Amino acid sequence: MRVVVADDSVILREGLARLLQEVGVEVVGLAGDGDELLALVEELQPDVAIVDIRMPPTHTDEGLQAVRKIRERWPGMGILVLSQYVRPSYAVELLSGGSEGVGYLLKDRVSDLGELASSVRRVAEGGSVLDPSVVSQLVSRPNGPRALLESLSEREVEVLAAMAEGLSNKAIGERLWISGNTVEKHVKSIFGKLQLPASEDDHRRVLAVIRFLDAS
Amino acid sequence: MRLTHASVAAAAVASTLGAAWVALETDRSSHRVLLAVFGAVVSLSFAGSGLHAWIRQPRNRLGPLMILISVAWSTSMLFFANGALVYTIGQALRPLFVVGLLYLLLSFPTGRLATTYERTLVGSMLVVLLPLQIVWMLPAEGDPVLCKGCPRNLLEVQRDDHLTHVIGAFQGAAGTLVLFAAVVVLVRRWRASGAAERRAIAPVAVVGGVLMVAAVLVSANFAAGSPLGFLPLLIAWCAFAVLPVAIVAMLVQRRLARTAIAGLVIDLGDRPKHMALRDALARALGDPSLDLVYWAAETGRYVDAQGGPAALPDAGGARVVTAVQRGGEPAAALVHDRALLENPELIDSVCAAAALALENERLQAELRSRLAELQASRARLVEAADAERVRIERDLHDGAQQRLVSIAMALGLAEARFAHDAEAARPILREARDGLALALEELRELSRGILPGILTERGLTAALGELSNRASVPVRLSSSIDGRLPEHVEAAAYFLVSEALANVAKHSHASSARIHASVDDGVLAVDIEDDGIGGAAIGGGSGLRGLTDRVEALGGRLTVSSPPGRGTVVRAEIPCA
Repeated sequence: MRVVVADDSVILREGLARLLQEVGVEVVGLAGDGDELLALVEELQPDVAIVDIRMPPTHTDEGLQAVRKIRERWPGMGILVLSQYVRPSYAVELLSGGSEGVGYLLKDRVSDLGELASSVRRVAEGGSVLDPSVVSQLVSRPNGPRALLESLSEREVEVLAAMAEGLSNKAIGERLWISGNTVEKHVKSIFGKLQLPASEDDHRRVLAVIRFLDAS
Repeated sequence: MRLTHASVAAAAVASTLGAAWVALETDRSSHRVLLAVFGAVVSLSFAGSGLHAWIRQPRNRLGPLMILISVAWSTSMLFFANGALVYTIGQALRPLFVVGLLYLLLSFPTGRLATTYERTLVGSMLVVLLPLQIVWMLPAEGDPVLCKGCPRNLLEVQRDDHLTHVIGAFQGAAGTLVLFAAVVVLVRRWRASGAAERRAIAPVAVVGGVLMVAAVLVSANFAAGSPLGFLPLLIAWCAFAVLPVAIVAMLVQRRLARTAIAGLVIDLGDRPKHMALRDALARALGDPSLDLVYWAAETGRYVDAQGGPAALPDAGGARVVTAVQRGGEPAAALVHDRALLENPELIDSVCAAAALALENERLQAELRSRLAELQASRARLVEAADAERVRIERDLHDGAQQRLVSIAMALGLAEARFAHDAEAARPILREARDGLALALEELRELSRGILPGILTERGLTAALGELSNRASVPVRLSSSIDGRLPEHVEAAAYFLVSEALANVAKHSHASSARIHASVDDGVLAVDIEDDGIGGAAIGGGSGLRGLTDRVEALGGRLTVSSPPGRGTVVRAEIPCA
């Protein structure tokens, strides 16, 4: 698997490259800003682009802008956005263009090599990855969908969070030590209680769940 | 009413009663009652008006003068006495009231004769009418030369009808001449006076004018052997009787003018924006030509509303300048009709009201400018605080946070390697420890930027010592501050010195600097002085603007003296309350 890493901090992008190599991911290019990233992606056609949000020249959301362009021109390419902060609004924005092959993680998560490897792999395969803190921020919003969420059981909330992170039913079952059938039952119940359109598609349901959490 | 007033009133009433009694008893007229009433009316109206004026305006001589005229008039009524002695006194002093009347008209409205010419006129009239009257009586037998049916003239020395006639004609001609000259003076004065003065004295001027013309006619008629009979005398008497009424009318009008002050105060208090102060004052003073000029303390002269130099009238003209004082300092001046000086109370009140209004205008302008400055400074403080937050966030993001993430990465890597090769993890762990040390150092640096620890722990002098040691040029610090000052004062002073030293490093090209800090009378004074190229200013990107706001927010003052080529002194004074 071939990836390109974009981060304006030399320490971080070199460190990240080293970690990726450690888990068997081939780092084919390093970029320091959005324009460099676009040039490298065009030239190297990697499987995944790992992108920092805040980069020169404006140090605001250059990474997100570059990601939007990449997804327009090379829709099949995996994108993993890394940032020192995660914002639900950014997550919604990222997922709006289609949640296939998109990930959004706190930078801290990369220190867990296993998680890093699986996240890169998931977006490369077209899956989605969302940082758990996005979900917890959305759920704990004071003006969030409290009433509806309170109708969920403790287990259902756990399943909801896992869904929002982009896990498949199988992965949810593995994380929570429950069978696939049980997961399916929980998912159905959740969609019923939250009055969401039922969806068999793992990717689409991430967006549905996030939108629900963000909008209500 | 004081005792003087009371006794004068009693004397006037007594003389009036005496004259009326003489008139009622006279053998020479069949209209005794009419004569008595007319005489008493004139006498009392002069006495009453005079007393009124005297009490109301003690500084004005009109009052006493009118009382004297009243007494002189009563004396002249003695002419009608049947006894030789009283008759002779009455005849001799008969024209005295005319002198008083002349004095009254010429000196109106102050009761003082202003010019030598006027004094000469009154003096001449006195000579013509008193000594000459006596001279005239010396060669005249009472009846029939002086008057028909008169008692004996006690002053008669030797009868000479021709001489009496000549002296009488001369007296009449001279009196007419003086009266005519006085009429000319009054007419010229009327023509030279402004609208306000004319309005003020109009009733008196009309009656006085009629009286003067009638008096000239009486005099001329007498000199010419009375071809017009009693008509001129009748007119003169009527005008004479009405004159005190006119004077009282003028005085009442002045009191009304004073109530205009109340109107003025209301006008000023509830003044529509478009109504200029000048218009309100002009209305209160009844002087449409009024000008309001402002005192410009910087140039030491009066300026008009547009700030241009104001042209003031020459001394002695029809228009005069009255200064409006505020706290002993000139604030403005009214350029007004001279006549208004005759009513000093009105002018004083208007000046006081104007001073209030000006003070009010000044305070409002000052308040507006302070408010604007305050709002600007508050906005700058908020902006500065926001900019500071952005800077701190950026510093954290690009510094410590990054280091910590990279340490997390290194630890992750070490963890992964540890499983199969513990030795391989060792350099990575060392790398993580070094990264941690750097992250800590960066955090320390950052927190010192927010508020240096030494300032909170040891106070200003120690913190300034640290700043001096880290400065880019040698700095000599002298501080007489031992204990602690309020936190915000210490912080403001610290950041001031920090910024000033940063400016020294960046802009001044100085080779050394000096810091002096002391507290006097509860005010912290900090000076930062360098030997650089000068030319620094608050604003202009020196960071001093923000510090000025900070110092001023604490009620202090920041000054920068930076003549080109002669170094820079930044001085802050901050109250420690």
